[in-house]
Amino acid sequence: MTSSGFPGCQSAPAVPAHMAKSMSLLWGAGSPPCWRVMITLEEKRLQGYKRKLLSFQKGEHKSQEVLEVNPRGQLPAFRHGDVVVNESTAACLYLENRFQSQGNRLIPDSPAEQALVFQRMMEGLTLTDRLNSVIYYDLLVPEEERHDSALKRSKETLSTELQLWEGYLQNVAAGSYLAGPFSLADVVVYPNVAFAFRFGLSAGRFPKLAKYYSLLKERPSIKASWPPQWMSSRQGYDVLKDL
Amino acid sequence: MAKDMTLLWGSGSPPCWRVQIALEEKNLQGYNQKLLSFEKGEHKSKEVLEINPRGQLPAFKHGKIILNESYAACLYLENQFKSQGTQLIPEGAAEVGLMYQLIFEAQPLAQKIGEVLYYNWKVPEGERHDSAVQRNKEALKEEMKIWEGHLQGCGDFLVGKSFSLADVIIFPVFAYFIRNGGSEERYPNVAAYYKKLRDRPSIKKTWPPTWIDGPGMGTLKDI
Repeated sequence: MTSSGFPGCQSAPAVPAHMAKSMSLLWGAGSPPCWRVMITLEEKRLQGYKRKLLSFQKGEHKSQEVLEVNPRGQLPAFRHGDVVVNESTAACLYLENRFQSQGNRLIPDSPAEQALVFQRMMEGLTLTDRLNSVIYYDLLVPEEERHDSALKRSKETLSTELQLWEGYLQNVAAGSYLAGPFSLADVVVYPNVAFAFRFGLSAGRFPKLAKYYSLLKERPSIKASWPPQWMSSRQGYDVLKDL
Repeated sequence: MAKDMTLLWGSGSPPCWRVQIALEEKNLQGYNQKLLSFEKGEHKSKEVLEINPRGQLPAFKHGKIILNESYAACLYLENQFKSQGTQLIPEGAAEVGLMYQLIFEAQPLAQKIGEVLYYNWKVPEGERHDSAVQRNKEALKEEMKIWEGHLQGCGDFLVGKSFSLADVIIFPVFAYFIRNGGSEERYPNVAAYYKKLRDRPSIKKTWPPTWIDGPGMGTLKDI
């Protein structure tokens, strides 16, 4: 075992009782990756896990407490007994794998549906990157390296990306989301969509995304884990309004 | 089964290579495949766009089912063909957790390699900065050190004692790093892992054809 508790590639001891009490999550408000894990824990009826809200603003994601679980100093930092899974999509896949028959099924068995869940789930990570490139431009790029032309290009790329998702949601309705019934694809992507609207995305220009957003807002797992606040962007909350 | 599958791919692309390795491991040889050229822009051809509107490779079809994300294709193949070929998702909780953790940690790894290798291609001349080039190199160095650490004390595989999706997805990235000049002296654990797995049948058989002709560019030699 390394000092971070990360087991490396050797076999780790068997995980004790599969209960939420042996799970803990260090998280930050307004972080789509953290939100994904929380939605999954709700969906799999694993409420009762230990959790601690940390502040990005205060740099708490770089604290010793986090580094012990996640040497990268990032949130979420998730443990289940001795198993540590810090990448959000990985944690969601892990939870579905271990608790498949508990709570809601997040990955269907049938080939066509399953393929679509995996495909949209992975495309959701491209959407995440493109959103971050715009919303957190000032955080990601040092002042001397910033260019209006670069931000403009990132916005155009994001706009094209969002139009793709608008297309994927042509037939969105209650019970019919990114890949049919609510699935891991929605767990990964919905937080991004909420993030986009929080930062000013126009519901008028993206009506299907807006419908998706409002339909799922009421889903218990999403309602229960809704971010108490969102991390601010130096560009303010309307950075996406012109897309 | 394999006869209903089609893969459009490009040589030397880790995402394409992953799918090829997975198909071999699951005993799905005999799939239809077509090698396309990135240099000639064939990834943006109508043939690709019809399967993948993003104009990217791999573009994979199984009957009417389409999977263009390499991780999605690999997860699908393992789940749908669990009982044949190599078992790619382990049984135990610790191994499964580690496997998923590593495959998603591999995303920043691949991204950082791309930031260095493709800087001039991605960033227009007027927006380039030496400071950015330096930053990207430092970030990749730090990332490679993390992976050196992950491989410390490892046997032949990234997770436990068997070949898994972690190896399917990550081996091509290490091979790509080394191919582009990555130092085997500075990263001995990565190099050892690479050397151990490169002769695995599924990997040897699908080795990028354009890599056989000669050495690659040494762009990453200072990392």
